Amino acid sequence: MKRIGVFVCHCGINIAATVDVEKVVEEVRRYPGVAHAEHYQYMCSDPGQKLVQEAIDKHKLDGVIVAACSPTLHEVTFRRASENAGLNPYQCEIANIREQCSWVHADRGAATRKAIRIIESLVEKVKYDESLTPLSVPLTKRAMVVGGGVAGIQAALDVANSGYEVLLVEKQPSIGGHMAQLSETFPTLDCSQCILTPKMVEAGQHKNIRLLTYSEVEEISGYVGNFTVKIRKKAAYVNWDACTGCGVCTEKCPKKVDSEFNCNMGSRGAIYTMFPQAVPNYPVIDRDNCLYFTKGRCRICEKVCDLKAIDYEQKDEVVEEQVGAIVVATGYDTLPLDQLGEYGYGKLPDVIDGMAFERLLSASGPTGGEIRRPSDGKVPKEIVFVQCAGSRDPEKHLPYCSKICCMYTAKHALLYKHRVHDGQPYVFYIDVRTGGKSYEEFYHRVSEEEGVVYIRGKVSRVFQDGDQLIVWGVDTLTGKKVEIAADLVVLATGMIPSAGSQALFSTLKLASDENGFLSEAHPKLRPVESIQAGFYLAGAAQGPRDIPETVAQASGAASKVIALFSQEKLFHEPIVACVDEDLCSGCKVCISACPYDAREFDEKEGIVRVNELLCEGCGACVVSCPSGATQQKNLTDEQIREMVKASLGE
Amino acid sequence: MKLPYYPGCTLKDRTSQLENTALAAAAKLGVELQEIPNWTCCGAVYPVSETRIMNLVAPIRILKEIGESGADRVVTICDFCYNVLKRANRAILDDDVKRTRVNLFLSDDDRRWAASGRKVGEGEAYDGGVKVLHYLEMLRDQVGFEKMAAAVERPLENLRLAPYYGCNLLRPAQEMNFDDPEDPSIMEDFIGHLGGRVAAFPYRTECCGSFLGISSPAAARRLSHTILASAQKNGADAVVLSCPMCFYNLETKQKELIREFPGFQPIPVFFFTQLLAFALGRDAETLGFEEHYVDPLPLLQERVSA
Repeated sequence: MKRIGVFVCHCGINIAATVDVEKVVEEVRRYPGVAHAEHYQYMCSDPGQKLVQEAIDKHKLDGVIVAACSPTLHEVTFRRASENAGLNPYQCEIANIREQCSWVHADRGAATRKAIRIIESLVEKVKYDESLTPLSVPLTKRAMVVGGGVAGIQAALDVANSGYEVLLVEKQPSIGGHMAQLSETFPTLDCSQCILTPKMVEAGQHKNIRLLTYSEVEEISGYVGNFTVKIRKKAAYVNWDACTGCGVCTEKCPKKVDSEFNCNMGSRGAIYTMFPQAVPNYPVIDRDNCLYFTKGRCRICEKVCDLKAIDYEQKDEVVEEQVGAIVVATGYDTLPLDQLGEYGYGKLPDVIDGMAFERLLSASGPTGGEIRRPSDGKVPKEIVFVQCAGSRDPEKHLPYCSKICCMYTAKHALLYKHRVHDGQPYVFYIDVRTGGKSYEEFYHRVSEEEGVVYIRGKVSRVFQDGDQLIVWGVDTLTGKKVEIAADLVVLATGMIPSAGSQALFSTLKLASDENGFLSEAHPKLRPVESIQAGFYLAGAAQGPRDIPETVAQASGAASKVIALFSQEKLFHEPIVACVDEDLCSGCKVCISACPYDAREFDEKEGIVRVNELLCEGCGACVVSCPSGATQQKNLTDEQIREMVKASLGE
Repeated sequence: MKLPYYPGCTLKDRTSQLENTALAAAAKLGVELQEIPNWTCCGAVYPVSETRIMNLVAPIRILKEIGESGADRVVTICDFCYNVLKRANRAILDDDVKRTRVNLFLSDDDRRWAASGRKVGEGEAYDGGVKVLHYLEMLRDQVGFEKMAAAVERPLENLRLAPYYGCNLLRPAQEMNFDDPEDPSIMEDFIGHLGGRVAAFPYRTECCGSFLGISSPAAARRLSHTILASAQKNGADAVVLSCPMCFYNLETKQKELIREFPGFQPIPVFFFTQLLAFALGRDAETLGFEEHYVDPLPLLQERVSA
């Protein structure tokens, strides 16, 4: 007969005010199997835990029940305390007499009786509990970071600097992401490329980082610590091992293609590098636009390359890699203008978005840093900035706030005014959100000292009238409609998850929210991890945010990876399913019931086996098994039956 | 093809030229529009208040009778009638409370009508089963613009026409579901298929003033003038529209615009059905231009070959 100790917690007044803890101890002491019972004010405290340990020793206990709050809070605490006293931790169970008793009832007598029943049912469970050992799993101490923007770069650097190998996978030919497209960053007005490129170069040269650019993750299998990933390296048609990045081929290419990096306001060749500071600085051939691939002509790049690095026969290559942890940092895109009918569906050449304005501001952009409008190159004298273009609009577009637009619009207005001294910027806003460090001061300077006119009201329509754009808005503070004839309109479009991220999240089986952003394990307390073990989140893939938050979060995700890798082995909870081979008839119903692919049919023996490392102990297979052959350890049908009987008072 | 047709009050009174030309053109295209018997006013404006369910009785009774006659659709030409009927129908389809209460009102109604000897129906509930179509939709979907183009005898080649949509066809967008409210194209398609040229202008979906033309005429004049001036600035020879209210503000009221806005040049305004009938072969003199303030006849005679 087992010798079980019961420890009833007062939890201050949380339990003791409603449940008569002394009476509970008195009654439970008499229950068969209980060798010791006592109560204490705060069981989770140091002295409380010591009581458990001393009792285990003194009364030779081989089972412990702590009657207190929910097991989600302190099951681990008490199991650890029991283990330290020499008792197998799986012989320690929690009886929840707070959330399921004292917090939901008012009648003291009834609540006390219920608390007793709850404890008695747990006694029945502990009677049949087996001593279990956590399963240990080897761990591949290598990380994969998906996405090479500032979030991915930072996470990769942090993990690499801790001595672990990192695979940095990026679908564009170069790392850098959207931050590489920015001109200056708020609120310091640092040149974006100047602060980013050192990190890019460091990542490119780091001995622990392997860059896989122009590549995409195609398939994944396995579990935390042991993932197998297939990555497709797209054919660049240039041999990057031979190429030195001299750039002659990109200069000589006769084909002109709209440059995506310059938001279609400048052009690039069919063979191109994204921008001068690209890492790696090797070109790729865009075969949909290359004259050789489409028409069989040209081949000028091949002719001018002294190193014979052009290879039109190159094929995509799929590589398979083993990694232990994955950081997803796939970033954002902005709401495409063709969604905004009110502002011209993207068909008006002088209605552009914030990113395009960044390219106009940038010294390496299509206008060399002069602000000239796309239609005729004129310097705009009347310029209107429209905040919340698509954001905060649950009826038609995005319900959420995109967080960065108020700040970058203020920045844009300021930089415009510094370059076009006789220009007049107007900003239409609903609110101006300046939550970060020095942000409010920056906005104050722009709105009070720089001659930027801020008008509180949404813009309802932008249309072309001759060579100007008519902007219809309202000034809610005076109640009057406002009409402005502008030379250029810049829309602060909302942030959305980057193109292709939905498909990738499906491949990785990662949860995302109703807006397509990655879901974190807990919005307050676990912001850099997915609920899926082994996956960590960094940057705007999880939701709109600015650069300091992104970098901080990337380091946070990296620290989780490093913590994971600092263990020798991974431990997996042993409360898994098992199969009684004598009872199993091989009907295979349990296999389809399992959401984790943890069950396999053994053809030779004609029975089903459980892969304990994949089993998450959900119990679906136990329910589905018609013969009762499959049971869950320490949650057997027999245990549950006895628990039910005890709680009914039988 | 025979289709039930609901004219509404205005088409019989102020804008008979709209109806005449519409029916004649439809007939030419093989569609017989049969005026439904014993119709009543649709209510003119869809009730703004969500709780004034009584105001839905007028349009729903019409639709219920059409349904009971065995038809599953009705064509209307007046934009206001289209707006009211379609939205009332939508309310019946979507809202259980409104559907029950309107049908309850109507069933009381049935008993009174029955007592007067007039049979209205068995008193079965109306469930939103009649589809409300605008004449333009009928042209595009039942007849087909291609078929319409094939029947054109006088292509409108040298005419630059500014299509004016107004409000009732397009808004509220989710209920009307007629065309893209920001960038509609059905009227441009229509004009193109008649061989005409489109003068695109940015005020084609802005309000003409609607009933302000009667209650606050100065405000309506300002709105109408802006629309017409924009059309002219963008090279339009004439404006094409479909709504009798818009016609009143944009055409009839040009008499007052001349006084208020010095420099304003009158511009002819057509109902789209007049141009349709003309393109299909009807003589320009029979299109009802006597109802117009600005006579469009000279323009047609000058620009379009006989």
